[in-house]
Amino acid sequence: MSLTPKAAAPKVPVRTFSAAWVAVIALVCAGGAAGATAAYFTYAPGAAPAACAPGSTPCFVNVTDDLGRAVTVPFDPARVAVLSPNIMDAMFRLGLRSHVVGVDCYAPAFGGISSDYSSDQIALWNLSSAMCIQVGPTFSLEELANATPSLVLASTIIPAQAVSEIIATLHIPVVILQPSTLSGILTDVGLLGEIFGVVPAATALTVQLADELANASSALAQYPSIPTVLVTYSVDSNGYWTFGAGTFGTSLIVLGGGQSISANNSNPYPELPPETVLSANPYWVIYGTGFGYNESFYESAPGWSSLSAVQNARAVGLDSNYLTEPDPTMILTGLPDLIAILHP
Amino acid sequence: MRERKPPVAPLPRSLRWLWYLLAGLVGLLLVSPLIGPTDIPGLVVLQIVLHQLTQGLLAPNACAGFALADPCATYITIVWEFRIPAVVLAIAVGASLGISGGSLQGVFRNPLADPFLLGISSGGTLGAVVAFLYFFDNPELLNGLLPLFAFVGSLGTALLILAVARTRASSVETLLLVGVALSSFLSAMVAFLLLYHQQSSQQVYDWLLGSVAYASWGQIDITFAILLVASLLLIAHARALNLLQLGADIAQSAGVDPRRLRVRLIFLASITTAVAVAFTGIIGFVGLVSPHIVRRLVSFDYRVVLAGSLVVGAVFLLVAWDAALLVGVGTVGIFTAFAGVPFFLYVLFRRGRTSSMGGSE
Repeated sequence: MSLTPKAAAPKVPVRTFSAAWVAVIALVCAGGAAGATAAYFTYAPGAAPAACAPGSTPCFVNVTDDLGRAVTVPFDPARVAVLSPNIMDAMFRLGLRSHVVGVDCYAPAFGGISSDYSSDQIALWNLSSAMCIQVGPTFSLEELANATPSLVLASTIIPAQAVSEIIATLHIPVVILQPSTLSGILTDVGLLGEIFGVVPAATALTVQLADELANASSALAQYPSIPTVLVTYSVDSNGYWTFGAGTFGTSLIVLGGGQSISANNSNPYPELPPETVLSANPYWVIYGTGFGYNESFYESAPGWSSLSAVQNARAVGLDSNYLTEPDPTMILTGLPDLIAILHP
Repeated sequence: MRERKPPVAPLPRSLRWLWYLLAGLVGLLLVSPLIGPTDIPGLVVLQIVLHQLTQGLLAPNACAGFALADPCATYITIVWEFRIPAVVLAIAVGASLGISGGSLQGVFRNPLADPFLLGISSGGTLGAVVAFLYFFDNPELLNGLLPLFAFVGSLGTALLILAVARTRASSVETLLLVGVALSSFLSAMVAFLLLYHQQSSQQVYDWLLGSVAYASWGQIDITFAILLVASLLLIAHARALNLLQLGADIAQSAGVDPRRLRVRLIFLASITTAVAVAFTGIIGFVGLVSPHIVRRLVSFDYRVVLAGSLVVGAVFLLVAWDAALLVGVGTVGIFTAFAGVPFFLYVLFRRGRTSSMGGSE
């Protein structure tokens, strides 16, 4: 095949080509740097909401959520969509279950309500498939609209496109509650107390949580040694998923009297290669259970059987919710359970 | 070099399949808005559509005659703000991908050529991932910038391909190989970035599966505007594309500049694909299969292939969207393969031994 010849060499395309490559690579490098160094996110407490006068309707409060977004929400909304188990836990503990008209579920083909809530949680919180609002693989705006909530409480798993549609089309405010630290859990409890007008209950729960954290912290000095720990909530052929610096998971391990082998990892949720785990040789291995995960699942991880913790019966399962859901139960039940494992 | 007007061949007589497909598209347009997780009576859906289209002149009370548990306003929102835009965007994106695939297969004279083989989708994905990385903490801003970044990523990749296409040393094979290499390189960069930003991986994964679930009327306006202009321009080049199928020398002797034609068509196909990718994520297979179906069922004439690919692509994506909704998943990218492969194989084997690019085997 022949091409039409040109008199002059095509210099412009060559420059375009080079410049485009440089731009793309620079963009990627900058993106990588941002991802590697930026903190997950930090909570920026907003101004205290003005108290709603009794009987004044409609009444709104201004809050700042965990992404630092200023959101105006209706005071004490009767119908709320709760799109994350950690928020549902706090809602239940504050006596707000009756406000919840919808919860997050994956598509029925992926387990429906059981994909995100354990059977214990479903029974305790009186949840049902009828309350399902599909959040994955695609968010169902239609199911949310049909639930007619006046407020959506969600985690960062909700796609940005869905958040925008909820706000712009359905005109429902969205508050993102996903604390990155243990102290953030207390902050979010306080935030819910303000939104729903249950400040006394929220304060009582916050005090209880703070006491638990303080007790765990003061107990650290009494332990004869601080063992090294790998806490993993999932594994695959590439390694072990765990927590990095600045996360609630790493804080949980520290307060539990352990020293995380990934505490200094700049990636908040790194996947540690088997080689790294084997060379760190953690004294304890804590793995998340439930939702189909058990010890046999973790045995498939490369190098699992070579870990001295596994060989010496120091690989112990702990409910995944206690490890991955930053909520009051993590502090009130997960932390004591972790302490009991690490310091029997 | 001034291009001479290529000779005109009569249109093929056997266009009945195209009419069948058009009728199918109309049928799907009527049925698709009925599908969704909320049980809304078909007549109510129809009344809502009439109500909205005529500003209330027809069907002034959209939910008249039905004792519905929820306020009618909720159903109007569901039908008019979610279901109809999704259906219309599926048609626009399917048509865009279809005609892009048709023109690229013609340009490259390669049955495997499609918008994604050239790395356009990988470029869009890279753009989307960078947007997720930088604006993850601001969902509203992210939602606004995500399509823009994906579009820039797709178009940037296409411009790289075009830069290669404009060099004297470029050949069809070189362009395809550059596309494949670029695609791999960009996919590797996406994987690299995600390693350092796990918290956005779920959202990126959802985006990669492709969906029209978040369609808005604004997106539809943009997609249709680009589609209309690009389609007219692409179809205007159909006769030149027909000549190119006979070989570059013959095309050139008939007044077609193959390299200029290639650059123009790649640009138009890329911009059409980039818009589709920007609003819906990655939806594969439509651009690859649609032109083959038209060639097998109707004609090898690119005037028909390009116009037919518009219709087939739209039907194809709408069927996939309906299937995704019926299964309750909502990600259309998977179902384009599920819905398309069986039909594609049927068409492929039913029509005997003719090559899907037109030659004899």
